[in-house]
Amino acid sequence: MKKTGKFRPDKVAIGFIAPAFLFYTLFIIVPTLSSVYYSFTSWDGISPTIRFVGLANYKEIFTSARFGNALKNTVILTLFISILENAFALGLALIVDHVRWMKNLFRSAFYIPVLISGIVSGFIWKIMYNYNFGAINSILSGVGLEGWKQDWLGNTALTLIMVGVVLVWKGAGYYMIIYLASLQSVSTDIIEAAEIDGATPIQKFKSITLPLISGAFTINFTLSLINGLKVFDQISVMTDGGPGFTTETLVYLLYKVGFNEGRQGFGTAVGIVLLFIIIILNTLQQKFLRSREVQL
Amino acid sequence: MKKKILAAVLSAATVTGMLAGCGSTASTGGAESAAATTANTESTSADADAAADAGAAATTAGESVVTEPTDLTFIFADGDEGMKTAMNEIVNRFNEAYPDITVTIEPGNGGAYSEFLKTKDSVGEFPDIMEMRDTAMYVRAGKLAELPEEITSLFQTTTEFEGAVYTAPLGGENTNGIIYNKTYFDENGFAEPTTYEEFLELCQAIQEKGDMAPLVVGGQDIWHMGFWFHKAYNDQVLSQDPEFIKHCYEGTKDFTDETVKATFTELQDIMQYAQDGWTSTPDAQITTFLVSDMAAMMYSDTHMFSNIQQADPSFEMGWFAVPSPDGKTRLVGGAGIGGLAISAEAAQDPNKKAAGEAFIKFFFQPENYKLYCESLSAIPTTVDKPQLDVLPVFQEVIDATETADDLAPMWNGRVGDNELPPDFRNFTYKTLVEVLQGTRDIDSACEEMNKTWKTAMESFNPITGTGIK
Repeated sequence: MKKTGKFRPDKVAIGFIAPAFLFYTLFIIVPTLSSVYYSFTSWDGISPTIRFVGLANYKEIFTSARFGNALKNTVILTLFISILENAFALGLALIVDHVRWMKNLFRSAFYIPVLISGIVSGFIWKIMYNYNFGAINSILSGVGLEGWKQDWLGNTALTLIMVGVVLVWKGAGYYMIIYLASLQSVSTDIIEAAEIDGATPIQKFKSITLPLISGAFTINFTLSLINGLKVFDQISVMTDGGPGFTTETLVYLLYKVGFNEGRQGFGTAVGIVLLFIIIILNTLQQKFLRSREVQL
Repeated sequence: MKKKILAAVLSAATVTGMLAGCGSTASTGGAESAAATTANTESTSADADAAADAGAAATTAGESVVTEPTDLTFIFADGDEGMKTAMNEIVNRFNEAYPDITVTIEPGNGGAYSEFLKTKDSVGEFPDIMEMRDTAMYVRAGKLAELPEEITSLFQTTTEFEGAVYTAPLGGENTNGIIYNKTYFDENGFAEPTTYEEFLELCQAIQEKGDMAPLVVGGQDIWHMGFWFHKAYNDQVLSQDPEFIKHCYEGTKDFTDETVKATFTELQDIMQYAQDGWTSTPDAQITTFLVSDMAAMMYSDTHMFSNIQQADPSFEMGWFAVPSPDGKTRLVGGAGIGGLAISAEAAQDPNKKAAGEAFIKFFFQPENYKLYCESLSAIPTTVDKPQLDVLPVFQEVIDATETADDLAPMWNGRVGDNELPPDFRNFTYKTLVEVLQGTRDIDSACEEMNKTWKTAMESFNPITGTGIK
């Protein structure tokens, strides 16, 4: 191709890109940028008068015990689901990869929770967790373990973890599919060569399979980290951030103050802080996981 | 590299998606509202006559109040089936009585009505007439039209904002009290307590009997906790200083006040009699506890009467007001801040304004208003009261509101100098749950309330006008 030094726009390409570009700009970029402005105001969300308050919202965020509590809950929940979702997903993927019969049945069964909406799964588990009428306590009573009954969504020591269990149950199947695809792409030649060399199943998994599916780890941990940081549906349905503030996460705090308590400006500032938290965590995670990937 | 790009794109999409939800364009509005004041106007016989005349005028079929066919949209919190039926019937009657006006009900999403109405406003679909709950906020935003004297005079009391009334109170503030299992009380010789000490003794006696919990509490819904909080706050704080919130704004008092601590202590005393798992029990489930002999009493408002009847028509219920520790009876009641309102935009069109006012007058005519009150067990607010065909237990509540030592709205339903900052109510209730669960002591709770109050005051203070003008 001859370089002319002039920029020649490809009209066809622009024609294809323009609708998506306009849509994304209007509905994502513009509201996002306007959010930065609102974060410096005390706007209540409906009033035509918007008062500029400078850094007051950010000052409140960094001195507020409620924000600190929401950040702590978010970190705990994100770590819990990132680790357990991936552990279960990998386990399920190995099961599906190794079963000799009804492979599709297993794959479908493990994937079904993913298809249930967050709201519906929250309702289902909320009913199951119910102290007086729920299935879990009823079963415990039925098998003579009355003393094990718990107020699963009322006990402050348990509630956050119980919400995490629902998220793991719902999310593991999705990550299983990614691990499964990665497992099935591992060359059988390498596995057979290792077998000929006398490698045990654990050695094969640790030294061959695991390094070769590390790309899937990177994707899955990134996705589960993001999902952990933006959990909303289940908390809204199951606990409404309670009891007290026990399960109030950053996203839920953002929603509560922004849309429920008429403090859109403050809620938007929480969103901006969350943006930076996600960028920092994601960058650190990428750096760590990328260094462990193996390319063939 | 592709994975890295994918991860970056996913991250960006996530956060921008969240942020995009936070930013929206400011709605256009009318006049800027001023600081609010509360005024409960006692009706006179002249008012009653005027109301009767207004009602009669509105019912005159064929007398048009508009110059051309007019359509009105109407939204209310339609979560309750009984309310939905009553509202539909009243609207049908109105549309028949006024052939040149058509009121159309739009779905109201009763579960999260406040958010729903905000959404309708932000997308330019604010209704012409609506059930208004966050009145102060919408008045300040210039979204509501002032109601004329011929409407306000229909009511015993109304709530004013600087001399203007914007809402026609749908019902008296929900009067809370103990609804109990009458059969169980009769079988065991338990009587309605006449003092606060007797109430605690009654709870203790039921707990010792051991066959059911003395109280069922729907603690998962924090607004349910608000019923209890207001009871104790009324007993301890408002009884000593009805203007406590105003004094907090002024800085002469704060939430480490001994009366606030006494509020938490009173609730600790009462909540030891709540059922196991009360923090995770939703309000919607407490009826089941009562009719299934799992709890002897619940503390709620009058809408529970119809819920209990639907759950078990044979259930015999009784009602009593929980006396205050000082022996007085303090009840929630009277006209509150909410009610039917006309949008400021609709009021700019003379036909819509006339039609909206006609609808409100029609709604509160005794024969129509009766439908609403009976379906929601609402206490009538009008001067010309409908003859209600209600349960004896509901009549007890109406009687109690007339003999109570104190009848006032909830602590969070006040306007003017005693109006709470937007987020303070929920914070208080959540802090209360922490105290009741033992994860926070009372002193620490009061300190946290102070901190939150100070922050909230920086953006909302009716004394200084911050956040209002």
